[in-house]
Amino acid sequence: MLKAAHPERPDALTWAFLGLGVLLLPVGLYLALSAPPDVNQGYLARIMYLHVPGAWLGYLAFFVTFLYSLLYLFRQDPRYDRVALASAEIGLVFMGLALVTGMLWARPTWGVYWTWEPRLTTTAILFAVYVGYFLLRGAIEDPELRAKAAAAVGVLGFINVPISYMSVKWWRSLHQTQSIDLTTGKIHMDPAMLQALLFNLFVFTLLYLGFVRLRALVAALEAQKEEA
Amino acid sequence: MLRLEAVSKRFGRDWVLRDVSLSLGRGEVLALLGPNGSGKTTLLRLMAGLLKPTRGRVVREGRALFLANPPPFHRHLTAKEHLLYDLAFHGGRGDWRGALARYGLPEDLPLAAFSSGMKKRLALARLELLSPDLWLLDEPETALDQEGRELLLRALDGARARGGVVFATHDRALAEAVADRVLWLGAA
Amino acid sequence: MRAEGQKAVGRGGLGVGRVWLLALRDLRLEVRDRAGVLSALSFLAVMLFIMALALGPEEGALRRAAPGVLWVALAFLATLLSTRAFALEVEDATLDDLLLTPGGKEWVYFGKLLFQMLLLFPLSAFALLLSALLFHLPLGKALPLFLTLALGGLGYAGVATFYAGLLARLRGREVLLPLLLFSLVVPVVLAGVRATAGLLEGVPLAEVASWWQLLLVFDVVYLTAGALLFPVVMEG
Repeated sequence: MLKAAHPERPDALTWAFLGLGVLLLPVGLYLALSAPPDVNQGYLARIMYLHVPGAWLGYLAFFVTFLYSLLYLFRQDPRYDRVALASAEIGLVFMGLALVTGMLWARPTWGVYWTWEPRLTTTAILFAVYVGYFLLRGAIEDPELRAKAAAAVGVLGFINVPISYMSVKWWRSLHQTQSIDLTTGKIHMDPAMLQALLFNLFVFTLLYLGFVRLRALVAALEAQKEEA
Repeated sequence: MLRLEAVSKRFGRDWVLRDVSLSLGRGEVLALLGPNGSGKTTLLRLMAGLLKPTRGRVVREGRALFLANPPPFHRHLTAKEHLLYDLAFHGGRGDWRGALARYGLPEDLPLAAFSSGMKKRLALARLELLSPDLWLLDEPETALDQEGRELLLRALDGARARGGVVFATHDRALAEAVADRVLWLGAA
Repeated sequence: MRAEGQKAVGRGGLGVGRVWLLALRDLRLEVRDRAGVLSALSFLAVMLFIMALALGPEEGALRRAAPGVLWVALAFLATLLSTRAFALEVEDATLDDLLLTPGGKEWVYFGKLLFQMLLLFPLSAFALLLSALLFHLPLGKALPLFLTLALGGLGYAGVATFYAGLLARLRGREVLLPLLLFSLVVPVVLAGVRATAGLLEGVPLAEVASWWQLLLVFDVVYLTAGALLFPVVMEG
């Protein structure tokens, strides 16, 4: 995910990811809209074609940030920091999309926009951690310190995921008040629906890969310009 | 003792230092001269390892200590307590009482009551006590009286014998009197 | 050669000793400065008092709200203490001196953490007593309650020490610290609140123990990560 032969221009692979992603996006949309409605939820279920890939790529992106943050801490190569930054930025967008679409779906399904379900809560916490990640980056002028501090947050924030998830899950299970079970909203997958979902996941992944490469390149150009 | 290879340092968009290369041998004293904002303090902090260079490399042999200007001390401790804690944290042993006496400093006065000249003397006594291989000093001559200046000259001689010294100063006479070499830093 | 020898002394002879010495020195500075401990104590008292006033006077409501209030108060207290631990160095510009000591810098992290724990333990005992008074809490299980506070406080301070050290030299640290901190310590607050509520409601200890386990896991993970990452972000 790192090297570009011509550092001042996106390479062929980046263009391929982005081009293919943008071209296939309408196809994914068509598949999503033409897939049969859900037995219980009707047309509402279609929000999942945006929601699931968004959430999935959000987590993937933060995981990539975690990996490249670790790499940066070991090797101190600014390229790793740029990939971590790029992935966190895209991840924040995807995760934001997942949160918004999730709330839009939750309102008609559960009657509320928000509930303290473990997955939701963990996602919201992770979102907050990465908002902090960018505020911290903005506060540090020394580029070496900024990269190291950001890498530390990237690592600490991600190892928090399983612990948060467990704590919220137990917290809810002991709570005696009425609760909403996620499984009440379970969608029984028709093969055509699954196909459309997987296709959209594929398209989003292409877009993610393309955007990360592009964003890392922009970060490299910014660094070059600052150094000049 | 110390080698800098094409060291550059940037804060935000501004380069404070560009491509500084130098090397300091055992028994050498180097003076850094230059106007305010030319990067003398940043260079000393890079040499101490308190900052990482944006580009280039700093190679150090032995232990280095950096003395900031004004010298940092905890206000609520006495000179004796401060030196005892310093010795413990640095894992050294030494005659702190003798060091205080040599610099004419009281043992049990809280440092809040020290004048800036006394703090400078205490800083020199502290360095002597901790005896690093490399002394990195930021404007060591400020706030010292005539007697203090002689103490400084003697301390620098001792430091030279033990390893090496780099100091930043605006006092050209001091630089010429003590330093083997002078490095001029231009405005950034 | 002499430097080599000294390094060996520094590593072998002073490992744990330095940690204690730093914590006790900071306590000494704090006591002589007076402002810090007293303001932390009054902060706790005022916060608990206002919350009790706002949520009361009905006894049942107060009792139900107490664990949450207690843990929010402790969270703010720990933020205050961690900021204080590094303010001691930043005010007198002495942080660099600690970073130039020989050997790894993990000991500075543990020293600052120990300093906070030495203050946090008596302060949380005080908070517990005061909330027993204001929120009508039964103190029958004072020891397990205190254990919960200690476990939670340790994990909280472990993260707070890392971030306070990282932010010590930055602008805008007052705003950044709670933002970075609170999102990470959600598990501590949740586990702490549930364990405290469970103990107050008389739930069997075996059920509360699972929360202690979670707190313990959090403590181990974040103290290890904090100690490993602290030297990296403090040095340059």
